[in-house]
Amino acid sequence: MSRASMRCPGCGSSNIVDDDLYCQAQLVCADCGSVVSEGSLAEESFNGPDISYSRTTAVTRKPCVNLIQGLERVKEISRILRVRREIEELALTYYKQAYEHETFLHVTLQRKEILGGCCVLASCRQQRWPITVGTISCLLNGDPAAVGEVYQEMIKVLNIQAPTFSVTDVMEAHCQEYKVSPGHVPEELAEDSKGLTKRAIALVELAADSWIVTGRQPLPIMMAAVYLAWQSLKPNAQRLKMSLEKFCKLAKVQKSKTAGTRITEMKGMLYKLGKEIPWYKEVLTPDNVVSLVGDVLQHRFSLLRRALKSHELSLLEKCPAGQVNPSSAETSSSSDVSEDAGQTPVKSSVNAEKEKQGRDGDESLKSPSEESNPQTQELTQNWGKRVLFAPPCVVNAKRKRAERPPLHVTGDEEISDSEIESYIRTPQEARDFAMMQEKLFTSNNESS
Amino acid sequence: MDSSNDEAVDIIITNVVATFRTRCHLNLRTIALEGINVIYKPEVGKVLMKLRKPRITASIWSSGKIICTGATSEDEAKLGARRLARCLQKLGFKVRFSAFKVVNVLAVCSMPFSIHLVDFTKNNRPIASYEPELHPAATYRIKNIKATVQVFSTGSLTITGPNVQNVATAVEQVYPLLFECRKPLCK
Repeated sequence: MSRASMRCPGCGSSNIVDDDLYCQAQLVCADCGSVVSEGSLAEESFNGPDISYSRTTAVTRKPCVNLIQGLERVKEISRILRVRREIEELALTYYKQAYEHETFLHVTLQRKEILGGCCVLASCRQQRWPITVGTISCLLNGDPAAVGEVYQEMIKVLNIQAPTFSVTDVMEAHCQEYKVSPGHVPEELAEDSKGLTKRAIALVELAADSWIVTGRQPLPIMMAAVYLAWQSLKPNAQRLKMSLEKFCKLAKVQKSKTAGTRITEMKGMLYKLGKEIPWYKEVLTPDNVVSLVGDVLQHRFSLLRRALKSHELSLLEKCPAGQVNPSSAETSSSSDVSEDAGQTPVKSSVNAEKEKQGRDGDESLKSPSEESNPQTQELTQNWGKRVLFAPPCVVNAKRKRAERPPLHVTGDEEISDSEIESYIRTPQEARDFAMMQEKLFTSNNESS
Repeated sequence: MDSSNDEAVDIIITNVVATFRTRCHLNLRTIALEGINVIYKPEVGKVLMKLRKPRITASIWSSGKIICTGATSEDEAKLGARRLARCLQKLGFKVRFSAFKVVNVLAVCSMPFSIHLVDFTKNNRPIASYEPELHPAATYRIKNIKATVQVFSTGSLTITGPNVQNVATAVEQVYPLLFECRKPLCK
């Protein structure tokens, strides 16, 4: 607009001049001083899309610090365990994937650390590097239950499959921890690591058949197996007298309390098999069975068969009326080769018929399936009493609480008043109760 | 493989959990004062009431929501819940029995054979999972009926599901899978 044509609205003069107020352009009438028009102080409003504050102030996006730390921790764990390069790299990939998933993105740092350990565990399992959950929880200094929880979630999130290990797989790594090789201890107490491992594995396989391994923590079983293997490889007086605690101190490992129970169970099992050795003339007890372990392991299949047969005979003697010959129909099916034992029952040519009855790869007999005989029915309920080896939960079966007779109700019956009255205090009782409560309360206050 | 059982397998229901609402506010102190077999837990804000027949324990909140546990069948749970509602009515509250729902059923069952859990897990990945160091049983989750079966190597099963029908279906579904992986000549 031309200044010449403008007129001041106040006085009508056309003497308008530019008189900027600092940075604001203003047109002012020179005669009366009124501002005719002014420019805007700031730019016109931005007509583009809204830009958030964080975007305008954002710097170049840095990778998450915790993710980097987590990856470093995974590397650390892999190096402590001395795993192969591929396992470490796989673990790092898994960690990155899992970390960025919503299930693990906003969890506590502790949980993220556990996640790191679980990634290592999963990759070790996939690459068949034997390691236990116990080892990982030790490294992370965490609760095995928490580790297990995070592990299950992670498996679901990443949609991977990681096969578990059996005790025998982890055995070799475990045996290496025991410092009883010739360099570390005196000659009489020393044992070659390979021989020790081999015997310990054989013991664990035998224990697996006798329900000692199923459902139990692996560490005490391994410790018990190593201890018995060590004792039995050179069963001299010194070794036999050494207790588990002293052995652990010697080997510089931490003793596990349940290992003692496992040792007793294994000795019991070895005793049952050792009884069948025909050339052992002295009295056998679970205590002096250790010296026979070598023989038992060498001839374990035939000893197992003999033990089963004699057990069957002893049962027949106890209750001759009820027993029926175990059906040989099942025996003809070849037994599943159990992973742990890997055994194939050897067909002995001697007395083939008897063999057929007693022949099996595992520990127990098929029960006579006749339900009519009440004695067999009772035995069916506690099959632990019938077979040679059974898990402790079955052998010492808890007596069932007296079963409540089942109420046959429909849910919509009438409810009589008298039934309900039995659940309500009378007014007098309620008053007494309230009084007593008050008295108790005041007496508590006085005494405290 | 004969999937229909030669010997019927007994499924024993050990616990049924149900919830319902009374549609009115409940004064927990009154219930604690005037009710027999009642335990008041002010720190949690609830009252535990135990009925004798059927044997049921109910957790009562002041909002009027009630959870009943301890029944051995769905009908028992309903009867117990109704009895409880009547009891609260007698105590003076304007109770309306509504929104009764069986929320969880727990049952146990025993197979006549032992099971090789490692084989079972291998055959049924990823529905089955087995971590021997964490828990001695293999867990089998059936998504469509929302049931979880815990399989022990002795052949015992523990089944949890939203109702009794689902629990029975779960056992039927899992039986043939267990039969495949049974340990030879056991029991």
